[in-house]
Formats: sequence, structure tokens, C-alpha cells
Amino acid sequence: MEAVCSTPCVGQLHFALSRPLTKSPTFGPSVLILRNPCQLAARQQSWGASPKAALSSAHSSFSSPLPVPFQFVAPARKTRSAKLPALPAVRASTEDGQQFDYDLFTIGAGSGGVRASRFASQYGAKVAVCELPFSTKASDDKGGVGGTCVLRGCVPKKLLVYGSHFADYFEDSRGFGWSFPGGEPEVDWSHLIEKKNKELDRLNNAYKTTLKNAKVDLIEGKGTIVDRHTVDVDGKRFKVKNILIATGGRIFVPPIPGAEHVITSDDALDLTSVPSKIAIVGGGYIALEFAGIFNSAGAEVDIFVRGDKLLRGFDDEVREFLAEQLQAQGIRIHFGAKPVEIEKRDEDQLTLKTEQGDTWQGSHVMFATGRRPNIKGLGLEEAGVDVDDKTAIKVDEYSRTSVDNIWAVGDVTDRINLTPVALMEGMAFAKTAFQDEPTKPDHTNVPSAVFTNPPIGTVGLTEAEAVEQYGDVDVFTSTFRPMKSTISGNPVRTFVKILVDAATDKVIGLHMCGEDGPEIMQGFAVAVRMGVTKKQMDSTVGIHPTSAEELVTMRTPTRQIRKEEAQNGKGEKEMAAAAT
Amino acid sequence: MPREGPFQVDGKEEKKECGKAYDYDFFVIGIGSGGVRAARMAASYGAKVAAAELPFNPVSSETEGGVGGTCVLRGCVPKKILMYGSAFSAEMQEARGFGWGIPEDIQCNWEHLLKEKTREITRLNAVYKKLLTNVKTFEGRASLLDKHTVQVEDVSSGEKQSVTSKYVLVATGARAVFIDIPGKEYGITSDEALSLAELPKKAVVIGGGYIAVEFAGIWSGLGLEVDLIYRQPHPLRGFDMEMRETVSRNLKNRGIRLHGDTNPTKIEKLGHERYVVHTDKGDKIETGVVLFATGRLPKTHGLGLDKLGVELGKKGEVIVDEYSKSSVDNIYAVGDVTNRIALTPVALMEGHAVAKTLFNNEPTPGDHRNVASAVFCQPPLSVVGLSEDEAVEKCENEVLVFTSTFNPMKYTISGRQEKALMKLIVDEKTDKILGAGMVGPDAAEIIQGIAIAIKAGATKKHFDTTIGIHPSTAEEFVTMRTPTRRHPPKHERNKDDAQK
Repeated sequence: MEAVCSTPCVGQLHFALSRPLTKSPTFGPSVLILRNPCQLAARQQSWGASPKAALSSAHSSFSSPLPVPFQFVAPARKTRSAKLPALPAVRASTEDGQQFDYDLFTIGAGSGGVRASRFASQYGAKVAVCELPFSTKASDDKGGVGGTCVLRGCVPKKLLVYGSHFADYFEDSRGFGWSFPGGEPEVDWSHLIEKKNKELDRLNNAYKTTLKNAKVDLIEGKGTIVDRHTVDVDGKRFKVKNILIATGGRIFVPPIPGAEHVITSDDALDLTSVPSKIAIVGGGYIALEFAGIFNSAGAEVDIFVRGDKLLRGFDDEVREFLAEQLQAQGIRIHFGAKPVEIEKRDEDQLTLKTEQGDTWQGSHVMFATGRRPNIKGLGLEEAGVDVDDKTAIKVDEYSRTSVDNIWAVGDVTDRINLTPVALMEGMAFAKTAFQDEPTKPDHTNVPSAVFTNPPIGTVGLTEAEAVEQYGDVDVFTSTFRPMKSTISGNPVRTFVKILVDAATDKVIGLHMCGEDGPEIMQGFAVAVRMGVTKKQMDSTVGIHPTSAEELVTMRTPTRQIRKEEAQNGKGEKEMAAAAT
Repeated sequence: MPREGPFQVDGKEEKKECGKAYDYDFFVIGIGSGGVRAARMAASYGAKVAAAELPFNPVSSETEGGVGGTCVLRGCVPKKILMYGSAFSAEMQEARGFGWGIPEDIQCNWEHLLKEKTREITRLNAVYKKLLTNVKTFEGRASLLDKHTVQVEDVSSGEKQSVTSKYVLVATGARAVFIDIPGKEYGITSDEALSLAELPKKAVVIGGGYIAVEFAGIWSGLGLEVDLIYRQPHPLRGFDMEMRETVSRNLKNRGIRLHGDTNPTKIEKLGHERYVVHTDKGDKIETGVVLFATGRLPKTHGLGLDKLGVELGKKGEVIVDEYSKSSVDNIYAVGDVTNRIALTPVALMEGHAVAKTLFNNEPTPGDHRNVASAVFCQPPLSVVGLSEDEAVEKCENEVLVFTSTFNPMKYTISGRQEKALMKLIVDEKTDKILGAGMVGPDAAEIIQGIAIAIKAGATKKHFDTTIGIHPSTAEEFVTMRTPTRRHPPKHERNKDDAQK
């Protein structure tokens, strides 16, 4: 008997228990490690059950109880499972005599849904996920495995950012002595879109394969909750123990006259040619990313934004800096502008009118006016699932809705609408519900990026939040011209900002707007996550010559904000910017 | 009020030691990265500072150098500018994959690029001079007459002047050296390579260090046929083996001909800018230029250090303690001349530490642990902490190696066949990250933040609980969940070795 005490191996135990049962020949880890003999029973609780529910159902997960020897000794890899009695394929749990088709039924196979389903299955649950048929444009009857991120969001957007950004490289290259005697570079946008769609197809299939390999049943169709234990997919009904809603978000377009003439981000990702002149309505990250894509690709771009700044929710200085950079590239930004009507005069001519009485004419109008949780037709009311006033599904910190066997993750809960956050939520849910390991997703210090031109990378608090929460804050800022621009002549600059809690020296916010900002910020996010101090940052040797090294060489605060002085009406102490 | 402690630095008082007054508190020989930082900081702490540097020329010699030093004039900055310039050809190739129509006959005007590079480093030279407003600067060749007396000789007139200083800092850097083979006189160093009047069609690069692979990339990007000759099986000795293999693959993949395990035996001149490089493998490689990237040696020759009893190492480097103090107690040395870690930011750190130690009553040893570095080959390599081999050698506990080899998203469309590699090395018992590295786009930018985390003692758990930035290359660093391989704890490894 080889029984060793070791916490990290608990996961292995579970793997050994759950996976091989579905197909006998491979027994994964060579040694089954148990902390103590009781653990097996304790672990079994999580089998297809919510943590509280289910000691009673534990044994019924299997048609026959496990053979006793198996509880303590697993065969070494070489002996395999040959000596073990054959076990039936995984079956869903029963409860109060009711046989379920699935332990988990996930509605929506996007980032959060796929992650949760895969891991629930790996933890031993019988899982199905339903998703609408694939289309690049989402609608009531179209979606696709992969979800927004893969099909209509992060991935295709980034591919177009790459594609259009080459135009800026060509410009930059001239400063370095490159020329194009055979003619100016020109983009065949339809070629790019075709390749992008090919890549999406590949990813869509890759996700399907992932689900298949994870033994998750994929059911194509629209899932509706009939009651808390019944899901209907296009007329077919499934009895399910747990339901996970992961239907994501949908684009919201305000119902103004002529709204039918506008395009949304779904359409904008699929245009076969670059618009000649486009108005983009909205000041959020989607609006600004497309502004960058189309501007670089040669379109004339106007942004209409209701407020007096772009990118609500980001650090104010970053917001202003980005606006300047966009304007420096020829993008016009109309602040305080509220569109009230779109008029289509002829095929290629749209007119946009604002409440302020301005009119704009061009070929395309794009609305990037927000996204709303996608809950239409889900049957939430019938099942008794509460939604908040913004129609987001209300969940507790474990992602459980007001109905205790119905859960929700990702954009449909409107917490932080980012793919990696949905992944984290999905993973935490699977651990909570199927591995007896109640896990709260942690929404603090989530780094994020905006792929504008130049892009933004950020983690932690904005300056306003920092002052609000900490009072005394040291602010370090630096604006510089990246080395490449000193030769290329590109006017775009880089801005970096560090916010430090003056009392503890802890870094509480980091912001960067400039080339490579998103790539740079990832490592800093690890550091901020672990509670790094400014002193530790300063003691780190720079990597030379990079833009990132600027963040470890900012020695003198630009200003020191002190709560007391603020109360005395003095505000902040302006300090001389650090000399280089 | 005068500061307390051993290093009284009130500038208004006469500087005295055993009744002797000095012209300066601090004399810095060599105004490169380390020297500038030390001089500036010392001045800011109230010391009376002077510094000497040779006149400016992009190519260095016994009589020429320039304020800014190797990094700014003949190293990091100009090579990165050329790296940027050369990388456009790869970008244009990739752009085609994205649907851009670009005629085949694109070209880079080397003369223009060179002019732009020279303009920029000339600007930086002026910026550095301006930084030294509180420092008296001398142009000329400096040497030590005694431990407190520095002589500066004007290289054109031969005029000499001497000044005295309480402390002296040697920050003269290093210079490229040739290996001794017949015909080496036809070769050039990186100094000249950064300033070649004309680009030939073919180049041979001798050496496997970072300078060699960087120039191979630059020239290849600018359209030259490049042969890289090096002694080791892979370039970049000292780096993680898996990283080195990846770099080899990438260089080859980008059209550079690799000659590993090879030594050049002689160089023959055929005519104007026509040479043949012979190797011990029997190759005869015809080329327009031969670059020797065969190492750099500390520049201590002619400084008079040996006469003063300053202990020098085998390569001529100044031997220093952790405070950068030489064997002579008022003579300090920082940067490449000490042959510790020859990197600009390390020289800055050392220079700053010396200034703090001597003039801010704050004895500060240099901290050479977990220094991150980057090699700007294409795509770049960047590392921090231990390599896998080093970890296996040094770590008592089980070592977990997490690797990720992937196709960067951009390449899915551009069609470039080149995998990025990322690696985290973890002490299984403590969960501490021992080392991290990457070969791939933006590696140098990505590793900087990772380096901070590692410097601050990050564990694998810290990485695992950090949310990714999507879609980025860097997010791969926080999503590596399963170790690729494990190395058993040291006592078991030794047992295995014994059995073998």
C-alpha cells in the first residue's frame, strides 16, 4: 500500500477516481495518494452534487460501490487497470428517486461555459452544453461554439488590429529608410476578412473538439429553462441537476430613428471593404478599437461620445492622453454629442444628426453603444431566477443565482466582462459545484487591455479610486516618445502611471497607454497581485532598451496627494517631474 | 548642518584627509552609463564631482569615445535602432499574409538609416552632456598618477593637466576584441558594423554571443546573406539550453546560415570588400564583411592602475568588493570594466550604489541577483533568474519546469512558421519561481514585469491567481497549469548520477 500525505495530490486522487471510470484502460496517475482513508468518502460528496447537497447521493453516483481495495491502492502505471472489475460509463446523479440526464447543463458554449463544462466533466460530472448554430453575427437563433470572444470579440478584433496596424508600420518604416518604388502598399480587406473567418472556423472546431475530448455532450439549439430541473432545447427536454447560464451579452443599439441603417461591432468585423468615412458612436473600448482599426486602414473616422471624456471607468489621465493620441492621428472626436437620428439618402450616403444640431455625412455609421446581458427567452422568470435592474442575472460570490441549483458566469452576470474573468468564474464554479472545493472568483486587481492605437494596459485602481480608498497617494507619471518614434517620426507617445499607497508603499494601480502596453502589463499584474511595493519595483533592474523599463526607473513622484491637505483646500502638492 | 558619519560631504568645507586638501570629492573616469549615474547622484548628494571622457566618435579607439558611452553610442541604442529598421522586412512579409499588397522591390536606404541613427546618438550625446551640469567635465585621456591624482591628456594637443580627488571611480567600460587568426585585420567589430559606409551583399559573423546574433538578425533583415560561425552547438552560451535551441531554430528559419561547432581558421582577402572565411570544417565562405563578435575585454590599459596596486583580474578587469571598491581603498570601479554583469542597467545600479555609499552616508552593496536581460535577436529572447540547468544544479528541492510553445496569434494569419517559447522554473517545495524566460515577439517588454514579480519573491500560485490579459502573448505566463517536466530533489538526482 502506498499512501502518502500530500495536499497537492488531492486533485490527482480525483482524477484517478473520476476519469478512468468512464473508460477503463488508463488509470492516469501511477499512485493513488490519500491523506487518510476517510477522504475517499468525503471526496465522493462532490460527485455530481453541490457541496452541501449530497452525501446521500454519493454512492448512487455509481451503479455499484467501488471495490474496497481501490479505495486505498491504485495500481501502478505498469499494471494498469487490468485487475479492476469493469465499471459502467459515467451516469448522472439521482435525487429523491429522480434520475437526471445530466449533472450539469450549460446554456452557452462561450469562454465561461466551455471552461465550466470541461472542468465539471473532468471532476466527474455528466455534462451537456447547448449553443446556437455558428454565425459571425449573433442573433436570437445564431451564435456558435466559442462565443463572443472567439467569434465576435477579442480574437477577430485583434486580428483586424494587427492587419490594419501594418499601415502604421509602413509609415514608420519610411523614417528608417524604407521605400516602395514599385507602388504603395494597399490592403485587400476582403482577403483579410476571409482569412480571419477561416481562423474563426478553425477555432470554432477546436472548441468543439475540446468539448468532445472532455466528454461534454454538445447540443445545438436554443436552451430554455422550463423549470429548475428541466431544460428545453428546441423541443427536446432534459432532466438536469444543475444549470449554468453562460449566454454572454448582446449588442445594444438605442432605438433612434434610422437605427436600422447602422452597423454594430458584429458587422464591422465582417465588412468586405474599408469604409471610406465612418462615424462611430460611443466612447467605450469597442468604439475606440474600431476607430483605430478603420483609421489605420485608411478610413476617415469621427467618434461621437456623449460625455466629455472617452473610456469611462479608466484613469482620467489615461482617458485624456488617449484622446490626444487619437486626435494626433487624425481621428475627430465629438464630445458631448448625442445622436438622435440616422438618415439614409442613397446607397452609400448616411447622415447622422445630433441633439446639438450637428450633422455628419459619410458611408457608415457604427453604434458601439454598449452590451446587455443576453437573457431573452431563457425562461428565467418561470424558473424564479432573479435579475437586477440592468437585466444582469444576480449571483452570489460563488456565481449561484437565486435558485440554488442554477448558476451563472460571464457577461450575463455583468460583473467584469472579460474573457479571462469568465474563465475564472467558470473554473471556480466547477470547483465549487463538482469538486467539493467552494471557490470564490476573485475580482480584485484584474488587469485589462484596450487595443486602441496606441493600446492601453492597466491593473488596479484609477487615481480617483486610489485617493478615495487610500487617501494619501503618491502618483508617478512619465510621458515619453518610444525609441522607435525618435527615428520614425511617429507622433504617438507613451504614458505610464504608477499609484502608490503612501502609508505602506504598496503599488495600488498601474496604467500604461503606449505601444506594447497590454503585453507589458501582464507581468506587472502578477507583481501587483502579490502586493509589490514601489521600493521592490525600484530595486528591479531594468531591461534595456525597452519601454517597460520606464516603469522601474520612475524615482520621483509627480505629485503627492494628501488627504489632510485636500481637506484644507490645498489639494495636491505638485512636484517637479523627475529629470531623466 | 553637516551630515554625520564617515562621509562628510558639505561642499562648502575644504575636503581634507590627513591634512591634505583635494580639488574634488569624486573623480569619474569614463562618462558612460555607470559613470554618468554615479557622477550625477554624487553631485546631487552634495559632492564636488569631476569626470573625464575621450572626444566623441561613433567608433571607439584609444583616443576616441564620447559622453554617453558604449550603450548610447555604440551599443544598446544604435543597435536597437538598426534592429527596428531591419525588422520592417519581416513585418512586410507578414503584412502580405494579412492581405497587404506590397511590391517585391521594397528597399531600405542604408545611408538614410545610418544618418538617422547618427543624428539620434548625437542628440543623446548632447543630452548626456546636459545632464552633467553640476559636474566638471574634462575631455581627454585620463590616467592615475597616484591614488588621488588624475591626469587628463588632451588627445590632439597632448596638453596635460592634473587634479586631485578624494575618491576615484573607474568606469571606462570594455572594448571589442578579435580572436587571433590569420587575416583578422580584415575583420571589423560591432563599432564599425554600426557605422559601415556601405552595406555589402553578404556578411559573415564570427561569435555566438548576443552581439553576434543581434547583428546576424539586423543584416539579414536588411537583405544581406548572413553566415554565423560559432564554437558551441548553439549560440548564446550561458542561457537556458531550450531557449538557445529555439533561437537557433528561429535564426535558421529566418534565413541565416548557421555554422555551429565551427571555428574560423583564416580570412583571405580577394579584392575590395571581398573576403573568404575558412573554417575548421573546411568551409570557404565568400563575404563582403567579416564581423568579429568574439568578446569584449575591460578597458584598464593605460590607466596606471597596476602601478598603484589596484588588483586586476585575468581579463584585465578591476577586482571589486560588493560596494564596488577596488583593492585600493579610495578607488572604486563600476560597469563593464569590472566584468560582473555587463549590462547598462546593472552599471546604473552599481554607479548609484557607489554614490549612495560614498556621499549619502548610506552604504549600499550592488545587488546582482535576478537581473533580467534581453537579447534583441529576431524575435527577441529575454530571461530573468535561473536557467533550467542552473536550477537543477542549485535547487535542493524538486524542480518543476512549465513550458509553453505556441503559435503567436499574429502568425495564424501572417503564416509565419515560428513558435514562441515561454518557460517558468519553480521550486516544488517552496513554490517560488526560480527563473523565467521567453523567446518570441515582445519578449523583452513582457519579461520586465515578470522580473519585478520574481524579484519580489513570486510563487507559482501568484502567477496562477493572476488574471490573463486577453488576447496577449504575455497571458501565456499566467495560464501554464501543468508542469512539462520535473527534476527530482537534489539528493535523488545525486543518487541517480551515482547509479549511472
